[in-house]
Amino acid sequence: MFLLKYLFQAHFSEGYLPYLAVRGAVSSTVQTGGFFSTIFSSLFGTREMRILILGLDGAGKTTILYRLQVGEVVTTIPTIGFNVETVTYKNLKFQVWDLGGQTSIRPYWRCYYSNTDAVIYVVDSCDRDRIGTSKSELVAMLEEEELKKAILVVFANKQDMEQAMTPTEMANALGLPALKDRKWQIFKTSATKGTGLDEAMEWLVEALKSRQ
Amino acid sequence: MYTLLSGLYKYMFQRDEYCVLILGLDNAGKTTFLEQTKTRFNKNYKGMSLSKITTTVGLNIGTIDVGKTRLMFWDLGGQEELQALWDKYYAESHGVIYVIDSTDEERLSESKRAFEKMITSEALEGVPILVLANKQDVETCLSIPDIKTAFSDCINKIGKRDCLTQACSALTGKGVNEGIEWMVKCVVRNIHRPPRKKDIT
Repeated sequence: MFLLKYLFQAHFSEGYLPYLAVRGAVSSTVQTGGFFSTIFSSLFGTREMRILILGLDGAGKTTILYRLQVGEVVTTIPTIGFNVETVTYKNLKFQVWDLGGQTSIRPYWRCYYSNTDAVIYVVDSCDRDRIGTSKSELVAMLEEEELKKAILVVFANKQDMEQAMTPTEMANALGLPALKDRKWQIFKTSATKGTGLDEAMEWLVEALKSRQ
Repeated sequence: MYTLLSGLYKYMFQRDEYCVLILGLDNAGKTTFLEQTKTRFNKNYKGMSLSKITTTVGLNIGTIDVGKTRLMFWDLGGQEELQALWDKYYAESHGVIYVIDSTDEERLSESKRAFEKMITSEALEGVPILVLANKQDVETCLSIPDIKTAFSDCINKIGKRDCLTQACSALTGKGVNEGIEWMVKCVVRNIHRPPRKKDIT
């Protein structure tokens, strides 16, 4: 309990500023269309999609989250706790959770698994030493019952660096061919350059819309 | 008595599940074919708009029920680099659908090489293969005889297995049902690869 409190505080001090700024921007647009949006959502019942961004520390999860949300590279510090933001993409609202990736706080990932629609698993394409750790974390995560229906998207991040792993290398290193009953896809991304993220989100939107 | 009842239960509630791989070069139309199949065989499936389909770098899955048979599809990425992942799925598959882009004459020989490599794999011995000459809705496409001629030196490598070449258009849905029905017949008939038993839930 004490630790949860600690985690929450850590999140607050870190994710507070950008969160507030965007909150302000959103509420001004919502107020004018508030009436219509209520009718609209009651007609179509659009639920916010819940997405987790997971991966080892230093993979670039927080950078990706803010790149998706504000479209800029923000200076980040290692996340202890989580950041959560609402991202709208192609009329679909995502509630995106970016959880800290350090060894000591990885066990807390599972607290966030329930009702997750998709998992974005971020891997540092240059970190060949820790790809094994990345694989075992992924395998352990996918065994969870609560994530059985979740779509898996792997971001092979830091593709702007030389010697980055190719998608095939990464698929093999992460043991993805062993997944026989889950849809998965790898995207080459560079969060700092902003490449690959749009395609990935577009794919994710379509994949979420057409779930069987 | 127990045996009788459990047998009856199984007869009523168990389905034979077969796994079918969808392979072929990139941009052949594998994912479109899968989406078209899912839309045709699942009544409540909305399907993704076929024009929105992008390159697969990974795996798409889909299941359809045809009578008492359940087919589970694995649609893999077809880019040259990704073809290295294909053989990871061979041991568990009961059938293969190989999709060819009939409008792309230039890459036909490349497609043939990939096809050859796949059928000579030991892990796929005796597995029925459906070759789909896709994109037949385009007027300037190659006909079935043209494609058969191009693939003629593969014929003796096919060996003892069921193989059918079918004209199809994944976009319009022409030839899809015929292909799937043939595939169902063949995987059921192939006694060397028994199905996975799954309860209907």
